[in-house]
Amino acid sequence: MQENRNIYKPIKARLTNVIDESPTIKTFVLVPEEKFSFKTGQFVELSVDGIGEAPFTPSSSPLVTEKLEVTVMKTGYVTEFMHMLNPGVFMGIRGPYGRGYPVETFFGKEVLILGGGCGLAPIRSLLYTLESIKDKLVKVILCYGSKTPVDCIYKPLFDRLNRTEKFEAYRTVDKADEDWDGSVGVATSLLNKIKINISNSLAVVCGPPIMMKFGTIRLIEMGYRDDQIYLSMEKNMSCGFGKCGHCMMGEFFVCRDGPVFTYNEIKHNPEIWK
Amino acid sequence: MKPTIEDLKDVRFFDNYTDEQLNIFIGISTIKEFKVKEILFEQYDELKEIYILVSGCLSLGISISNEKRIRLGTLEDGQLFSWSAVFSPYISTAWVMATCPTKVLAIDARKLTEKFERNCEFGFKTMSKIAQTISHRLSDTRYQLMNQLTL
Repeated sequence: MQENRNIYKPIKARLTNVIDESPTIKTFVLVPEEKFSFKTGQFVELSVDGIGEAPFTPSSSPLVTEKLEVTVMKTGYVTEFMHMLNPGVFMGIRGPYGRGYPVETFFGKEVLILGGGCGLAPIRSLLYTLESIKDKLVKVILCYGSKTPVDCIYKPLFDRLNRTEKFEAYRTVDKADEDWDGSVGVATSLLNKIKINISNSLAVVCGPPIMMKFGTIRLIEMGYRDDQIYLSMEKNMSCGFGKCGHCMMGEFFVCRDGPVFTYNEIKHNPEIWK
Repeated sequence: MKPTIEDLKDVRFFDNYTDEQLNIFIGISTIKEFKVKEILFEQYDELKEIYILVSGCLSLGISISNEKRIRLGTLEDGQLFSWSAVFSPYISTAWVMATCPTKVLAIDARKLTEKFERNCEFGFKTMSKIAQTISHRLSDTRYQLMNQLTL
């Protein structure tokens, strides 16, 4: 978060482009009017005057500071209104908040990323970061699943990653259509096809709670320790700085202590997968 | 075509088997090749062989009529399928089709169960791997179902 900034007050950002990713998901390209930076995995509160605000993890590279990309799924009142916006309007950005991915711990490791649905949004920011430091990594493998081919976001990303040294990207769909000739099955089924040295690996999981639960269980069966698995928890964040209590998860405020946790830190919490 | 020990050691399913145990498989297996769109077996077929995908791509699914096939999954290299061949009534629960040129290891299921009866350690190890395959497939299917039932 910027120093000396009023933590309650959003900064203005002009919406310069809206990209349709799927029937229910759009990426908003914003140019903040003030200097703005974030660490990959942190989140912001994105607002529309008179309508409300909602938390999102930026999907752009933290190295690109002149613009910010936020991918928004239409799920409720605020996001439905956001989906009706056209370029040129102003939105508000509060933040960034929370604890992002500790990227330094990925140095020298094989990084396995398991994503589902709109969970690819924060993962894309992480992938941009990992691309910028790929000389320090052994390899990065992305396994991603969406419900149908139409629901897959950032479609060009997969070909691009597969042409990038040290990167592999696989995707699957739960339900194929007639034109789909790729893998069918849930995201965890892609774990059967990868080759990875688990003892020198870290895993990142991000997606709907169901996917994160099954993904974590499968990773542990494969041999990952609890402290090797990073989860991005999305839990009703509202104020962003540990005051309102909406995002409390046991002893933690997700907005302040997360949203990135190791499974080891939160595995005893009964609400982890809700 | 008969497989060799090196062929089996390259396949994930055979991790942690001794050479002696791999030779048991070699004695009762053949390598089979399938062309694109070739059906290995249909849902409800009686199965006599248990298969392991060596290389290629296979789709797995169910049929709701002779013409309408629904793809439910993709099999990856090293994965076992046609496990119904070792469990009565030996009837397949799904169809499997090659979606690219594919090689599978076909193991005679009746001879395999005879080997289990004579070599309990081999039998336990193999049935444990088959059980794990079924467990993962069930878990993935439930997850797929939950995805369809919830937002």
